[in-house]
Amino acid sequence: MLKVQNIDVFYNKIHAIKDVSFEVKEGEVVTLIGANGAGKTTILKTISKLLEPTNGVILFRDEPITKITSHQLVYLGLAHVPEGRRIFSKMSVFENLQMGAYIRNDKSQIDADLEKIFHYFPRLKERINQPAGTLSGGEQQMLSIGRALMSRPKLMLMDEPSMGLAPLLVQEIFNIIQTIKNEGTTILLVEQNANKALQVADRAYVLETGKVIKSGTAKELMEDDSIKKAYLGG
Amino acid sequence: MILFLQQMINGLSVGSIYALIALGYTMVYGIIKLINFAHGEIMMAGAYFAFLIAITTNLPFPLVLVFSMIMAAILGMFTEYIAYKPLRNAPRISALITAIGVSFFLQNLALVIFKANPKIMPELIVKKPISIGALKIGTVTLTTLVLSIIFMIILDIFVKKTKPGKAMRAVSEDKEAAMLMGINVDRTISITFAIGSALGALGGVLYSITYTQVFPTMGVMPGLKAFVAAVLGGIGLIPGAVLGGFVIGMIETVSKAYISSQWSDAIVFGLLIIVLLFKPTGILGKNEKEKV
Ligand SMILES: Nc1ncnc2c1ncn2[C@@H]1O[C@H](COP(=O)(O)OP(=O)(O)O)[C@@H](O)[C@H]1O
Ligand SMILES: [Mg+2]
Repeated sequence: MLKVQNIDVFYNKIHAIKDVSFEVKEGEVVTLIGANGAGKTTILKTISKLLEPTNGVILFRDEPITKITSHQLVYLGLAHVPEGRRIFSKMSVFENLQMGAYIRNDKSQIDADLEKIFHYFPRLKERINQPAGTLSGGEQQMLSIGRALMSRPKLMLMDEPSMGLAPLLVQEIFNIIQTIKNEGTTILLVEQNANKALQVADRAYVLETGKVIKSGTAKELMEDDSIKKAYLGG
Repeated sequence: MILFLQQMINGLSVGSIYALIALGYTMVYGIIKLINFAHGEIMMAGAYFAFLIAITTNLPFPLVLVFSMIMAAILGMFTEYIAYKPLRNAPRISALITAIGVSFFLQNLALVIFKANPKIMPELIVKKPISIGALKIGTVTLTTLVLSIIFMIILDIFVKKTKPGKAMRAVSEDKEAAMLMGINVDRTISITFAIGSALGALGGVLYSITYTQVFPTMGVMPGLKAFVAAVLGGIGLIPGAVLGGFVIGMIETVSKAYISSQWSDAIVFGLLIIVLLFKPTGILGKNEKEKV
């Protein structure tokens, strides 16, 4: 589904990503865990073509994305739930979801998917005509996830969906991730909440100052002493 | 009283022209945060296009209008592609200075092609007064007002209800997030310039019919007043541009009629300063906190 091969990414002179390689196979949930500033967001933005790598190749569904633009990637089946939600705050909840379905024209299927999203997140339905900016943080995150699902993605990139949320909401978001996984969508999940991320993931990569320092199945990493100490609170 | 009402209607009509031009400023600002100083020249170009079509063909007024709007839309997209798009990620001041450059370029181009002396705009709308009760309103005034309102309603529906209109709002809010939805941001910006320019041309044609003249610097004053209208209403906000346009048209007309025609411009700009002192974001603008 996704192959990242030896990419380097710079912000001017800052070398943010150093020779990173990893892979996400169809149907998998893979998580990148790492502390604040490790380079997680940079990697996701590079996959979405919001940033360009100076070296290396990214293959999405076996095609190099070198010459493809961000908006074209959506048509190929990529969805990105960005860090900080980035919902369209002046547009209504409904319009945000419509923007998620921007690439589609199958009206009846879109309506069915809307119902599905409202089934996942009943609170969004209650606020359907409200400007998205008036939603609470957790509701905005749900909208951001719902919006991404509306494109019927093959691969979903999620950047810290639990950031800044109360524990109960964090659980709710992870339940949804589990549901999306069960429905067969491939997910690349970026998290600082390594505990939760490893519970839902099949495999994981650990990122430190722009480098992959460890990888393995989620189970292996959960039992790894150094990982326990650094990321799982003992 | 009748005289006053008649002045109000004139004010609305002039104001609707300012509003049409102000829409171009505000839409472009909304989407790329650029004050497009060349917009007055697009309006001027629209008037020249109509003039050229009118003297070389005998097409009826609606077709003259449509063709000149289309030509102005193409010119607007072209200036964006040539002058502003390469500066998309440059500091805002670079694009602003470029816009001033484009403005001078188009003015001087018109000067070279058409010379400085004004051309007489053919009488595209037959001028005669229409009586509504005791009111006498000119056909030009009435057509201007009706056409402007029709196009404002079309724009409102476009922006609120259609897919490209919603994409435009999404791009105005967050370009990266819009890209992640599959929206072609470059094309959306291009469409915005096209629509703004077409509305500007509509304003230009109506303006040149009202004042019966077309000349290279004709875009400067109405362009400036429309810009003031956009800022007064709240730049970036479509209803703000409409409101600002009407307010300025009314104040200008009323102060011309009852105070002094020499002072009317000073009164208009004075009003802008006063409003901005109390409400820097314009009448409809919200004092939003900057997002971190
Ligand atoms: N726009 C930027 N300009 C310069 N440096 C940046 C920018 N964004 C991120 N960085 C730097 O790149 C590194 C990785 O950041 P990021 O990918 O946001 O990390 P994470 O998402 O893991 O917290 C950090 O050192 C950060 O300071
Ligand atoms: Mg991050």
